[in-house]
Amino acid sequence: MPGPLLLFAFAALVTGIVVGVRMSRLWLALTVAGTTAGFGAALMVLLGAADWEWRSGFSLGDELVHLRLDGVSALFLALLCVVGGAGAVYAREYWPEKHYPASAPRGRVWWSALVLSMGLVLTVSNGLHFLIVWELFAICAFFLITLDRQRREVRAAGWLYLAASHAGTMALFAFFSLLAARTGSWDLPGPMRERADLSSLFWLVLAGFGVKAGVFPLHIWLPSAHANAPSHVSAIMSGVAIKMGIYGIVRFSGWLPVPAAAGWVVIGLGATSALLGIAFAFAQNDFKRLLAYCSVENIGIILVGLGAALLALTHGDAVWGRLALAGALLHVWSHGAFKALLFFGAGSVLHATGTREMSRLGGLWRTMPWTAGLFALGSLAVSGLPPLNGFVSEWLVYLGLFDAVTSKGPSAWAALPAAIMLAMAGAMAMASFAKASAMIFLGAPRTQAAAHAHECGMGMRAPMLMLAGVCVGIGLAPILFWPAIRRAAGSWCPGWGAEETPAPLVALGSVHVALAVLILAAAAWLWRKAHTNGLRRGMTWDCGYATPYARMQYVSASFAGIVSGWFRWILQPERKIRRPRGHFPEEALRLERVPETVLERIIGPVSAAIMRVSTTVRQLQHGRLQFYILYVVAGLIALGVLVLLGGAP
Amino acid sequence: MSGGTLNLFIGLAMGLNLLALGSSRLPSLIRAVSLQGVLLGVMPLLLEHDTFDWRVVLVALATMVGKGLVIPGLLRRAMRAANVEREMAPFISYVPSLLLGAGGTIAAVALARGLPLLPEHAGTLLVPGAIASMLTGFILLIGRAKAISQVCGYLILENGIYLFGLLLIHSTPLLVESGILLDVTVGVFVIGIIVDRIQRAFDSLDTRKLTTLRE
Repeated sequence: MPGPLLLFAFAALVTGIVVGVRMSRLWLALTVAGTTAGFGAALMVLLGAADWEWRSGFSLGDELVHLRLDGVSALFLALLCVVGGAGAVYAREYWPEKHYPASAPRGRVWWSALVLSMGLVLTVSNGLHFLIVWELFAICAFFLITLDRQRREVRAAGWLYLAASHAGTMALFAFFSLLAARTGSWDLPGPMRERADLSSLFWLVLAGFGVKAGVFPLHIWLPSAHANAPSHVSAIMSGVAIKMGIYGIVRFSGWLPVPAAAGWVVIGLGATSALLGIAFAFAQNDFKRLLAYCSVENIGIILVGLGAALLALTHGDAVWGRLALAGALLHVWSHGAFKALLFFGAGSVLHATGTREMSRLGGLWRTMPWTAGLFALGSLAVSGLPPLNGFVSEWLVYLGLFDAVTSKGPSAWAALPAAIMLAMAGAMAMASFAKASAMIFLGAPRTQAAAHAHECGMGMRAPMLMLAGVCVGIGLAPILFWPAIRRAAGSWCPGWGAEETPAPLVALGSVHVALAVLILAAAAWLWRKAHTNGLRRGMTWDCGYATPYARMQYVSASFAGIVSGWFRWILQPERKIRRPRGHFPEEALRLERVPETVLERIIGPVSAAIMRVSTTVRQLQHGRLQFYILYVVAGLIALGVLVLLGGAP
Repeated sequence: MSGGTLNLFIGLAMGLNLLALGSSRLPSLIRAVSLQGVLLGVMPLLLEHDTFDWRVVLVALATMVGKGLVIPGLLRRAMRAANVEREMAPFISYVPSLLLGAGGTIAAVALARGLPLLPEHAGTLLVPGAIASMLTGFILLIGRAKAISQVCGYLILENGIYLFGLLLIHSTPLLVESGILLDVTVGVFVIGIIVDRIQRAFDSLDTRKLTTLRE
């Protein structure tokens, strides 16, 4: 039964919040036990047939507590538990008491609170309670992002996150209030597809949850928050927290009717997010920002799948929609696993070198082989290369889109451009991660810090290995994960759960296994060959220069130069160039910075204008009593005139 | 007969309004206010009564004592304590205040004509007098900088409200009337204390210097 397991998880996490300040070992044990129990409950629901539902007599805010765990929420809960447990283990070594005596205990408490509040977001089934736990979740995340709050940019990132998050929550307040007003109850009883009058509420859902998910124009908070948070926090933010936005969109597009345009808009937003997100990612120099923008891309992929499913739903329940939806749901897991792995790897690099700038790193694979290998595995997965999980889920989305194109309905006009844009995004994702891996791990160290890096310990390596195992597992045996996906799809749309395992998936699994065996064999052969013949080690990037040195290497901006040129219209890079002059040039300079275009060029000026107007209005409040009385008199006279003109008695 | 006397008294009160607006010295301002208070106190007795009502006499007495003696006395004490005699540099100086007050009085009379009044009130100056006094009070509140002048403005404003209240003297319970009176007395008392404190803390009664307290 999932009930007792969930109760145990709840109790363990609450106890973790209480004891987390003092007893770090007990906290770790409780968190791991709690997340394991939660994972077990999610698996029971995913692999069983029945939803878990609990209506208690206990009321909160005059509403009876109503919890529910169905296929969709269990899917997200499983991801939450995996990343929540792994992050707790990782944090013990990454953010130890020794170096952060003040923030480490705080971090433990907020971690438990964050996992708990996200779990509650996934289980509550009442609009009012949803808003409460949603807010709680936003606040816990804020305190985790600003764990290192002595640094100014961390605080700035935290406030930006909080402001953006609340802007989204405002839309959710409107949504749940309108929903409650129209249905007459805050309770969320389940599917209400037949209520056609509720369909317009979908736009509020998309706006409110879209902010949290980081859909392209609403992603403004995401890069700075992910980059400035401690890495284990970035991992859960990127792996799970932004998925809560996806959860909201999936949940309410499944329960409520959607307007006819919803599929088009979602697929369009998804394709835009995917392409522009990865364009921004490619242009970054800060590797955590690169990972953050890559999350925008992956959210885009998930939304393309969901949008295709919505299109299929509104255009006669087409079969290709099921594939696209399955791809989107599986990508939630895939992205959660490989992005958390990559952020853990990034944290390991940051821990060892103290810098996030790729142009100051290089050559780390010698000193950090484990991190390098695991980061490379994550990079392969995120690039959507077989035989890993990223390929499986993206491939399902592609299959859905291709079938939509060949079915020649009106949906083909959405599916074709989306498929093309996804393909471009995929290619650029590969380039981005080739750049990240090469800049950080290959070549020669560019600075002293990079040269003196050290490998992370077992406490950080173990969670990374676990997540890498998930990535490989989904890649090699997608069949094993199919029942869970099918169950979630069935919860989303009742008719869609009966689908048998699609034949391509079976074939894909065996191809992947064969491919993996081949790759392993090739690697073993290369290893043997290199070691029997002996290796000649030389300076990397030694391209015939007389005295090569590390600064001759490509830096991230030069690596990305051409592609960021294609996207100059949106990236708006700021350049400072001093070209070499004369026969014996003494100095030359080229600085390039990619701004947060949406934030700095759109939101920033608009907010500044609003602030100017507000400041002008604020001059009315000057503290002179006489003028205040004048305002009152003027108001009274105006009211009198209004009454006289209006002819009221 | 009493209607004519009442109008005369109200006319006098309106004249005192103008005097209050035109006087630069605080003692004469306070004198004008106290005289107006006494005039107002007499008025309930002049209204036509079918039967003798002891409550009306009580209201009249309390008003005369309160507005004519107690409050002006408090103000004079505050004035002596703060050692100010004269309103310096008002926001609206005396001649413009007088003009505004005169214009307001004319407007009040004109406005009262246009109002749908009960026939027994139409002949009296009660309504125009009330509006004119309130306007005068506002002009003083807006145009003067010293806290004591503002208290006087507040009192004249209250007198205007009192004049309106006379329209309803038979229907307003005594308790309400005395409650208002008590309110005003306490208000002035508190302001007197505050004036004293402001004087001690800032060495000035100029409310323009208090703008930093706005947050």
